[in-house]
Amino acid sequence: MLEENFLMGEQLLDPADYDFPALKKAFNMDREEVIQEIKDSGLKGRGGAGFPTGLKWELGYKEKSDEKYMICNADEGEPGTFKDRYLMENRPLLVIEGIITAAYAVNAQKGFIYIRGEYFDSIKIIDKLIDNMYKEDVLGQDILGSDFSFDLRLVKGAGAYVCGDETSLLNSIEGKRGASRIKPPYPIQKGLFEQPTVVNNVETLSSAARIIAEGASLYSAMGSKNSRGTKLVCLSGDINEPGVYEVEFGAQTIKEIIEQDGKGIKGGSDLRFVVPGGVSTAVLDKSEIDIPYTYEDLEKAGSSLGSGAIIAVGQEHDLVDLMLNVSRFFMDETCGTCFPCREGNRQINRILRKYKATFSIQEKEIIQDVGETIRLAARCGLGQSSLNFINSIMEKYEDELGIKEVLEV
Amino acid sequence: MISLIIDGQEVKVEEGTTILEAAREAHINIPTLCYDEELSIFGGCRLCVVEIAGQNILKPACATVVQEEMEVTTHSAKISRVRQNLFELIIASHNISCELNCMTCRRASNCELRKVAEDIGLEKVRLDPIDKGYQKDESSYSIVREPDKCITCGRCIRKCEEIQGVGIFTTADRGPATEVTTFSDKGLGNVECTNCGQCIHTCPTGALHEVYHFDNVWDELNDPEKHVIVQTAPAVRVALSEPFAEIDSPTTTGQMVAALFRLGFDRVFDTNFTADLTIMEEGTELINRIENGKNLPLFTSCSPGWIKFIEHFYPDYLDHLSSCKSPQQMFGALGKTYYAEKNDIDPENIVVVSVMPCTAKKYEAARPEMNSDVDYVLTTRELARMIKAAGIDLPHLEERDFDRMLGVSSGAGNIFGASGGVMEAALRTAYELITGEELEKLDFEMVRGLPGIKKAEVEINGLPLKAAVAHGLGNARKLMERIKDGEEYHFVEFMACPGGCIGGGGQPIPTNEEVRQKRIDAIYELDRNKKLRKSHENPLIQKLYEEFLEKPGSHKAHELLHTEYKERGI
Repeated sequence: MLEENFLMGEQLLDPADYDFPALKKAFNMDREEVIQEIKDSGLKGRGGAGFPTGLKWELGYKEKSDEKYMICNADEGEPGTFKDRYLMENRPLLVIEGIITAAYAVNAQKGFIYIRGEYFDSIKIIDKLIDNMYKEDVLGQDILGSDFSFDLRLVKGAGAYVCGDETSLLNSIEGKRGASRIKPPYPIQKGLFEQPTVVNNVETLSSAARIIAEGASLYSAMGSKNSRGTKLVCLSGDINEPGVYEVEFGAQTIKEIIEQDGKGIKGGSDLRFVVPGGVSTAVLDKSEIDIPYTYEDLEKAGSSLGSGAIIAVGQEHDLVDLMLNVSRFFMDETCGTCFPCREGNRQINRILRKYKATFSIQEKEIIQDVGETIRLAARCGLGQSSLNFINSIMEKYEDELGIKEVLEV
Repeated sequence: MISLIIDGQEVKVEEGTTILEAAREAHINIPTLCYDEELSIFGGCRLCVVEIAGQNILKPACATVVQEEMEVTTHSAKISRVRQNLFELIIASHNISCELNCMTCRRASNCELRKVAEDIGLEKVRLDPIDKGYQKDESSYSIVREPDKCITCGRCIRKCEEIQGVGIFTTADRGPATEVTTFSDKGLGNVECTNCGQCIHTCPTGALHEVYHFDNVWDELNDPEKHVIVQTAPAVRVALSEPFAEIDSPTTTGQMVAALFRLGFDRVFDTNFTADLTIMEEGTELINRIENGKNLPLFTSCSPGWIKFIEHFYPDYLDHLSSCKSPQQMFGALGKTYYAEKNDIDPENIVVVSVMPCTAKKYEAARPEMNSDVDYVLTTRELARMIKAAGIDLPHLEERDFDRMLGVSSGAGNIFGASGGVMEAALRTAYELITGEELEKLDFEMVRGLPGIKKAEVEINGLPLKAAVAHGLGNARKLMERIKDGEEYHFVEFMACPGGCIGGGGQPIPTNEEVRQKRIDAIYELDRNKKLRKSHENPLIQKLYEEFLEKPGSHKAHELLHTEYKERGI
């Protein structure tokens, strides 16, 4: 367990009580230096895709345009994930400091924080904070006496999971239907209102603010080669002490996180499997979780660290119920644009609903085929990963699901 | 130039070319459904996915731009699995059942789903069809939507928005409930739909089609009490052969007339006749407006799609519209008056049927101010269907002539069917009527062809007459904006459909750039081969005025041949 938290900590709500160490430091650095610092830290995007943050900022910085946008993606929708909510409710100053730092680094003049519509408290807190920060000159013209000006606005999501995908989020801010855009062009080149746009997750930006304040070396000294620093994990499911915990990459195994931070499985029952990165990641059987919590180790195990949600699932749940629950979620949340995701998830749901004690081999085949089609051909990350959970369950618990040949009568 | 490898072949293409375009240049067929070369890229159906060396996931060929040294595989076992599975998903969402199957679908002969199934070598369909339980949208006089057949490829949405600049379709809801619909689900008849029918041409399935009138026409033809007369628009004869693939010549006027007689019509007439009449009335109107300097530019009024468009979107300009009814409606009015009177037939028993390249003509015929002069409107597609259903061997019919009375026409009447044709026909007549001199060259090349907006200036008696032509409502909107910004013209021809009537929403499928050009060429050839090429020289038009209408713009002409418009709001 982490001795000293890097991101988590006491409530930071009032700009009058906070001296914006990252901003003050950043404004005394060249933009290139700020970017280099983030590159040196090894920070990766914490929204799920894990793209190197410093590189993203550098690409954004290099884009030539009169207008650029910095966007904070706070549409935290991955089931089992609630770390961004923790940050917005408890450390909102860090979040906005991170946004301004990033905006300074890439030289964006305008920004948005796009918050999940159901996060009423986060919205209230950030809304008030933005007002206060304008009053304290930490937003608007010549921030903190520097010559950097930046405007930030809050946009509320309307409840679509797909808007957590950055291109869908851009469409949503523009007032369009929440559906992914075809890439390229990437948002870095042509994003919001066709201008270069950098989109970062809440945790990424908060970490960036801390990294600038504390220096990259402190951060990069933590973690493993490909997973530097710390990560907020969201423990939920059949766990004694669910909640947000900060862990150092590689310092604990998934099993240890569950046992040490989450205090083990509820009611002393047995763990069956873990969903290691939110419901768009493949499950890991309890026999597979004795691995260090890093991007690379999870990938090696055939899954992904995803958004940092760790859902522990005990023995007493019905597997089909769980699959139906996840299937229902993806079926309802596909944006409806691409055929494999829309029709594939609909068909999977139909097959699961028909389930009566056994699956036929043919049904399993269809689920596998649709899984392959979606993974290979869907238009965006939502679709591509939508069957990871179901396919991994079908694969790992074949016997328990009673998949067998059903003879046509 | 970019050099890449597609399926082992080296291909060189322009920078910015997509894999799909590059493959087509190399004669490699990649199946598509949501792709239409005239429209923006959607990337939804994913049938065109290909493997690119070094990439884990497949990429849509339509939306991926080629790169130097890219290695693309368009057909492999993996791709085939994915395409077949995609197709299973698509077909399950297309709601094929016993009541709703390929046998009764009017798109069976040119259904793109069937073509794709063949292209990908579909082997099995394991998924049950999904009954989405949608209701048909039958709110429009012109177009029916069957959402159960819709696969949500979004082509109609893009066509309406990008080509026609109207945008009545939208995607609503999400997940499996995602559907294409109209604003607030109001239905095509209750939104700003211009009835142009261009959406039908881009729809890959039978989800969009015209409101069929052929059943009613069969009933009338079978009723011995009824005297059923038919008129055929100029664009029909250059397209009717297309569904009968064995006809080489694109023009089938004589066979079309013969087939109409065989179907049982009592008289077969030509809308070209009333096209000539339109020129007389509209030409006179133009001359009057120029003399009085009032309500210029004069806008043509033959295209009912354009009329509904201006009524919705530019109501301030309704005074600029010619008050002339379209040739279809002039014919209807004469059929139930002049023709009835001269032949001593009770107008109550006369049924006027039109064959039109147009879906909006169905709406036009139903406009209350048109007085039910035209009873039924068949599209070119519907006529082809009736001919086939009656067992008539169109390609081998002996040619027949139109009945004379309302059937003799000039070449100027013919070219009404192509964009720029009304303008050219009007210029031929206006020039000679105003100057009293004979035109040396009848062909006004600058108003012909497929450019979206065309302009011409013709010197008539010292007046430089400025004319413009726009076809496709997207272009009409552009030209209207320029006129709003102060561009000055005397006379502007507007046609709702790209290419003019030859590209109308009721024409055979497919209708694309190549097909439009073929039909245009055929129309001008008809004009070129006619001795009579100017409307005012049509002897039967002269006779009509002598016997019945007195003179162009007379009181009687106004009563029968002119109409009015109304603001419709948006």
